[in-house]
Amino acid sequence: MVRIKERYLLVNILYPSEIGLKPGVPDVVVINQPTTDKLKPQALLNGIRAEVAHTFGDFGSGALEGGGLQVKYLSTATSTFILRITRAQYRMLWTALTFMDHVPVRDGKPCTFRVVHVSGTIRKVEEAAIRHARDLMFAVKDQAGEKEKATLEAMFGQAKRTRQAAAMPAPLNVDDDSGDEDMVDISDD
Amino acid sequence: MLYDLNIAWSPSTTQSDLTQTLRFSASLGYHAVALNHLIENVPPQPKNPLPRFPSQTSQSQPAKSAASTGDSDNSNSNKETQKTDDGDRLPTVLHRATVCMSDPAGVQRIPQLAALYDLVAVRPTTEKEFSHACQEVRIEVASLISLDLTQRFPFHFRPKPCMAAVSRGLRFEVCYGQTLRGGDPRARATWIGNLMELVRATRGRGIVVSSEARRVTELRGPADVVNLLAVWGLAADKGTEGLGVNPRGVVVNEGINRRGYRGVVDIVQVAAKDEEAGDKMEGIETAESQAQKGKAAAAGGNGKKRKGGANEGRGNGSGNVLPADGAVSKRQAKKLKKLAAQEGTATPEENKSS
Repeated sequence: MVRIKERYLLVNILYPSEIGLKPGVPDVVVINQPTTDKLKPQALLNGIRAEVAHTFGDFGSGALEGGGLQVKYLSTATSTFILRITRAQYRMLWTALTFMDHVPVRDGKPCTFRVVHVSGTIRKVEEAAIRHARDLMFAVKDQAGEKEKATLEAMFGQAKRTRQAAAMPAPLNVDDDSGDEDMVDISDD
Repeated sequence: MLYDLNIAWSPSTTQSDLTQTLRFSASLGYHAVALNHLIENVPPQPKNPLPRFPSQTSQSQPAKSAASTGDSDNSNSNKETQKTDDGDRLPTVLHRATVCMSDPAGVQRIPQLAALYDLVAVRPTTEKEFSHACQEVRIEVASLISLDLTQRFPFHFRPKPCMAAVSRGLRFEVCYGQTLRGGDPRARATWIGNLMELVRATRGRGIVVSSEARRVTELRGPADVVNLLAVWGLAADKGTEGLGVNPRGVVVNEGINRRGYRGVVDIVQVAAKDEEAGDKMEGIETAESQAQKGKAAAAGGNGKKRKGGANEGRGNGSGNVLPADGAVSKRQAKKLKKLAAQEGTATPEENKSS
């Protein structure tokens, strides 16, 4: 029995064009702000299909149809979603996501899609999503709480977790065929 | 360390747009970026109009700090990311000039530009300029060959000049931001075609990947960029190098060219001269001698007589044999002891140890 190999992509929707418009709000919060509720899985799929058709033409559309593209999870509150696709086509899908520049709904805001994690099993993706969300929480706390930090430190002592570690969730590591690819960094050389 | 050596800057770029781009690139995980000033015609007295950011007190400082952060040390990470007044992070900002080679006078004036900018790149458009850039332009003059891949080149990239450039230390720059702009629908196709040809000619070596982002929406995360290039034919590991190792090499080289003596000798740190250094030397010496002792003792397992003699001699000299015996493993010690018991003649130091 041959198993169909799949890839799960954990994607974040980022809103960089609003950085600096809201004074006092940390960058991490602005970039990871919630997405509009109008974004339904179907709308997302349509947007992706349109982009793939634009970039790769009929060949791409066909490959995606055969690849069993599916939205496994979509949370507009955290601007996170998980896609499933066969392994052969995942780079094509990823490219399409990279080329998308606005939320695929009517009058969608400009945004960028960032693939945070690629994995062969949904369990690992789930773990990565949780880990990523927690890192974000720490980053937000770090950025927001910086002003009160001095007082807090006086009360509770020095914080163990450094700001650098918290705010850098994961630059990259792309390897072709390993089963589970965490996008953790090439940066710690 | 991730680098993005090309954030497009022109006199019409507003400060707020620029900070937005920089802040987003910091949050995407880039450690150092370079603002790029594309100069078509170099004026006789060039100036550096690029805006400065809080950390940049003097011209040579950013290159220096980048070079020092390039030393793969996380302990000085506070140097590499600065904060604005709002407490938001910015990457290390370098200044870069790109000179169009269609202006021969501009190429002559590159040394003047080099004094003003942290990095200098050249941008060839014709075959003549391209092969000149690959084979003639010295690495001290410019270390990047920036290619505008959205335009059709009237020639093919041939492996010979390309590999010559790479082996001389020059790097080719490709900018993914050009494909993310709308506008000319053929531009993306041309870009992909050119990239594939360049990758074929260089076999993916010596490529620096940068964004050339004019707006913040043209920036992408490092993993996304690597995937994009992997689809178009640049292997993922080469793409990763193009974001980390290769641009770092460029930045460090240019930094040394500006600070060091003839781009070769550089003062990294001045050693402190005090008693500590002396102590350290002694420490090293003792450690070394101990290691030697250990070795001698271990070797002594084979030829017992010789070992005994050597150890005795040293014992007389330095007066501490115990650490040397301590270096012998338990098993070894047991073995020695057994041997000694068999022969019935215990050497003095084995008496001590047992």
